[in-house]
Amino acid sequence: MADSESPPGAVHVTQDDVRRLCEFIYRRTGMSFNDNKRYYIDRRLSERMAATGAGSFRSYFATLRSDANHEIEHLVNAFTVNETYFYREDHQLRCMTSDLLGRIVQGKKREDPIRIWSIPCSTGEEPYSIAMWLMENWPEVDSHNIEIVGSDIDTRALNLAGAGIYGSRALMRLPRDVIDRYFARIEADQVQIDAGLRDSVQFTRANLIDASDMARYRGFDIVFCRNVLIYFDDASRRIAAENLYDCLRPGGYICLGHSETMSRISPLFGVCRFADAIVYQKPEAGHVG
Amino acid sequence: MPFVKRNPGAAAADKKPDSLASHFTDLGSPDEEGRWRAARALGGKVEAVSALAGALARERVPRVREAIMTALMRVGDDASILTLLPYLCSQDAGERGAAIEALQALPEAIAPFLPKLFADSDSDVRILATELARNLPAEEATRVLCALIQNEQHANVCAAAIEVLAEVGTDDAVPALQACAERFAGTAFVPFAVSITIARISKTES
Repeated sequence: MADSESPPGAVHVTQDDVRRLCEFIYRRTGMSFNDNKRYYIDRRLSERMAATGAGSFRSYFATLRSDANHEIEHLVNAFTVNETYFYREDHQLRCMTSDLLGRIVQGKKREDPIRIWSIPCSTGEEPYSIAMWLMENWPEVDSHNIEIVGSDIDTRALNLAGAGIYGSRALMRLPRDVIDRYFARIEADQVQIDAGLRDSVQFTRANLIDASDMARYRGFDIVFCRNVLIYFDDASRRIAAENLYDCLRPGGYICLGHSETMSRISPLFGVCRFADAIVYQKPEAGHVG
Repeated sequence: MPFVKRNPGAAAADKKPDSLASHFTDLGSPDEEGRWRAARALGGKVEAVSALAGALARERVPRVREAIMTALMRVGDDASILTLLPYLCSQDAGERGAAIEALQALPEAIAPFLPKLFADSDSDVRILATELARNLPAEEATRVLCALIQNEQHANVCAAAIEVLAEVGTDDAVPALQACAERFAGTAFVPFAVSITIARISKTES
C-alpha cells in the first residue's frame, strides 16, 4: 500500500491528500502543518485510517467531515499533545501573574475575591496548577481572597480531581522543590496533592454549551478554557462563546489553548497581546460592542 | 492558604427564571444588556422567531445582533433562515459575517435555499453562498457547486466555489471543473485553481 510519497507501512496517501487534510485541520483548528512535516502527518493519518477501518483516504476524509464517531476529536487528539499535566502551557500562567492580576486588582476592593475558573478541568491538573503557580509566583497572593473553581462535564473526572492522586508523568513540568512542597508520595508511581490545595479548589459539574447550566457561573475575572472549543462544531462554538461571555465580569479575561483563537470563534471579545500570551477580554462596561 | 471556596451556583440557583413574555418585552428595552439577555433566553424557541426578526432589524449593537442571530440559529427552521438570509446582502461586513456564520451552522436546513442564493443578482451573495455549501455532505456539496459553476459568469464566484470543492468535492466534479477552466481560460487563476482541485479530488481512491 505504501507509495513513494509515504513512509514504510503507511497507507496510500498522496501529497494532494495530505494538503487537503492539512487545509481541513487548519480551517477547523488553526493548527498549521505543511509538507515538511509529511512523516509526522502520514503517521497520524495512517493510525486514524487504521482505527476507523478506512480503506482509502477518500473514505477516511468522508468519515472525518461527517464527524462520525467523533472522528474530528480523535484526529485532533492524534495531532496534539493531549496529555494533561501540571503547569501545561505555563506561559499563560506567567501572563496571569505578570499582567492579568495586576489589572484585575486595580478595579477591586481589597475584600472582593479574585475569581478564576478552569473549564473544562478534567482531572484537576489545571486548577491545581493555577493555585500552585499563584502560591509560587504572585507576591500579593496572601493579600487577596482568591476563589478557584474547576468544572467539567465528566463527573468521573471531577471525582478524580477531588481525590488529587496523580501518576509521575503528570509532574514532568514541575520543579523538584514545587513537587516536594505540594505532593506526598502514596505509592511507587503515585502522588497525592496537598490537602490544603485540595480544599482550595471547588470542583463542580458544568456543560459549556448549556446556557441554563452556565447561568450558575457569573462574575469570573479569569477563565481558562483550553483545548475544548476546537472540538465543537460551528453552532456549539458560537453558543459556548456567548455562555463564556456571560460568565466573565466586564473586563475579565479568557485564556484559550494554543491552537485556538477567539477571533475565529466570536467577535464578542477583544484581543489582548501580552509578553507571555495572547488572551481575550470581555469589554469593560460601557464599551459598545 | 489564601484561597476561598464557595458554591458558585448557590446564588443563581435561587433565581426564578423570567417569563417568555418578559423576554419579548426586553427585546425592545433601551438597555443593551437587557436586550442581550432576552436574545440569549429566546434561543431555540420557535415562537420567538418573529420577535427576534423584528429585534434584529432594529438592533445596532454588534454583540446583541450576534446574540439574536445565534438565537435564530438555534431555532434553525425555515422562518429563522429566511430572517437571516437578507443579512448576506448587508453593507455592514460584520453583519454579513455574523449571518454567514450562523447559517453555516445549519448545513441541512440551508441546503434547499442554496439554488436561490446561487441565482442572486449580487455576486457577493453568490460568493458567500459557496461557503454555505462547505458543511454539506460531499455528494450534495459537489452537486450544488457544480450546478453553479456550469453557468456562472463571474470568475470570482467560480473561484470561491472551486476552493470549496477542493475540500469537499468528489471526483464527480471533474467534468464541471474542466469545463469551467476552459470557459475562463483567459483568467489564469481559474484554470490554476481547477488544476489544484482536480489533483486533490480525483486521485484519492486506492
